Amino acid sequence: MKTTFAFAAVAAFMAVSAPAHADSMVFSSWGGTTQDAQKAAWASPFTEKTGITVVQDGPTDYGKLKAMVEAGEVNWDVVDVEGDYAAQAGKNGQLEKLDFSVIDKSKLDPRFVTDYSVGSFYYSFVIGCNADAVKACPKTWADLFDTAKFPGKRTFYKWSAPGVIEAALLADGVPADKLYPLDLDRAFKKLDTIKSDIIWWSGGAQSQQLLASAEAPFGSVWNGRMTALAATGIKVETSWEQNITAADALVVPKGAPNAEAAMKFIALATSAEPQAALAKATGYAPINIDSAKLMDPETAKTLPDQQTASQVNADMNYWAENRDAIGEKWYAWQAK
Amino acid sequence: MSTYSDASGAIMPLPKIRRATGFGGVVPALAFVGIFFVAPVAILLLRSVLEPVPGLGNYAQLIGSATYLKIFANTFIVSGFVTAISLAIGFPVAWALAIMPGRLSSVIFAILLLSMWTNLLARTYAWMVLLQRTGLINKMLMGMGLIDQPLALVNNLTGVTIGMTYIMLPFIILPLYGVIKKIDPSTLQAAALCGANRWQCLTRVLLPLAMPGMAAGALMVFVMSLGYFVTPSLLGGTANMMLAELIAQFVQSLVNWGMGGAAALVLLVVTLSLYAVQLRFFGNQNPGRR
Repeated sequence: MKTTFAFAAVAAFMAVSAPAHADSMVFSSWGGTTQDAQKAAWASPFTEKTGITVVQDGPTDYGKLKAMVEAGEVNWDVVDVEGDYAAQAGKNGQLEKLDFSVIDKSKLDPRFVTDYSVGSFYYSFVIGCNADAVKACPKTWADLFDTAKFPGKRTFYKWSAPGVIEAALLADGVPADKLYPLDLDRAFKKLDTIKSDIIWWSGGAQSQQLLASAEAPFGSVWNGRMTALAATGIKVETSWEQNITAADALVVPKGAPNAEAAMKFIALATSAEPQAALAKATGYAPINIDSAKLMDPETAKTLPDQQTASQVNADMNYWAENRDAIGEKWYAWQAK
Repeated sequence: MSTYSDASGAIMPLPKIRRATGFGGVVPALAFVGIFFVAPVAILLLRSVLEPVPGLGNYAQLIGSATYLKIFANTFIVSGFVTAISLAIGFPVAWALAIMPGRLSSVIFAILLLSMWTNLLARTYAWMVLLQRTGLINKMLMGMGLIDQPLALVNNLTGVTIGMTYIMLPFIILPLYGVIKKIDPSTLQAAALCGANRWQCLTRVLLPLAMPGMAAGALMVFVMSLGYFVTPSLLGGTANMMLAELIAQFVQSLVNWGMGGAAALVLLVVTLSLYAVQLRFFGNQNPGRR
């Protein structure tokens, strides 16, 4: 009896852990509402069209990804990663080249296409503000760094990633087209002036919590979080002045077991309709240039791709090359 | 010969269990330890001296940088604080549980365990909401007129200490309870009869007898605190970053496994040394058996 049970358990375990067959593939993303939206907008229509089941996994973890590729035991087929990481991992040989005979890149925003990655969705760091909690909302990065005009705590993204350093330099008067290479010393000097007034957010939910409770009534946040916050009935103001864009990217890890299905998945995920559906659900912009036409103008208006007049592009290639060096300085400055 | 009665009530001899002897007997245990403990640590060690370039560069960088030294110092200071406060709060609680009527103490145990089993992230967020400047505690204190400016209770050392102490308390109360429960109340009576006052009863009888439990609990809390990640990350500011957060940065975000491995190995060595010290001084002191 016991032996039978043990055999059954082993068999079940093997069935679960066996590499996925062509009728299923694994997609890893960051969890939360964004992945829910990706599942609804991309995975469901993909399964309907191809019959290939998409298993959701996550959260994306670059350490794990590297371990999988090194061990030759890859069990993610498509992974949602940050743009600068995609550029770096592609160069380090950890990603499969994308098959652009399957993925139609003619309709994709060229800012977010490389040999190894295409955009997933794109977001902006905007100046978000809880208008109920303050007399006036900061409009520019200079305002956000001006503690005399706008007293109180402000919140910024905690990790070393595109966004905060750019904002500091813009606030200090660096023209948008002269941002790169980043003058780190100048940025940290500017950040020093507000360091004691910063509360750091380490995840999107935390940024919303800080703004909503007025613990930090304003700060630099992902635009989608402001859309979500507005939907809860809080009176928020978003300033798109010099909004800093970066994009997530879809990549295929080297040695992915279902690379063929992965290419088909990416092709569908980046096509006009699914991109529009994701944008509608998340408040992040589509990277397919035809998607805007498919959305009602009211929704389209709130997305970063309509704010290009005052938009600043974070340079993903610069970040990819300098990730480690910037990171080291960043954490040293933070810990001081 | 040992016997037992089977279902029908017949007295049966206990089946003999042959004790595995010699080297063959310990092979499975050794293999287990090797696969699950030695191998990962060996790989960690190798990575830390081979990546990104072979040599001791990672360790030199860890020890040579003021930032990393500060993070090491933070880690030990926070863990020390949390351990001391947990002991100070946990001891009276464990003592009260040990002398309380059984029914009441089981209710309190249930509360303790329930809080332990509640999602860690949820508990940490709850503290964030309570402690922040616009939070319940500050609002209450200001409403009562005790303060006019909100206290900075979170995003700093205070927040980390409060949050981590709360989470660590069960880990010190449970071992302490076990030890105190075993102390024979008549030893205290005897001390009192011999003329010891309350203070002397506590410091000369109870505390020495409870020492192994305190040492075990304190070590557990200290070591767990050294490697704690979620709570310091959410309730702390960036000025008191702890080692676990640094390791996570190295491994997950910067994908620099050499440095991550070196930092993790330093943490492991410290932990094992502390354990060795504890074994040396308290290892064979067991109140039930001498």
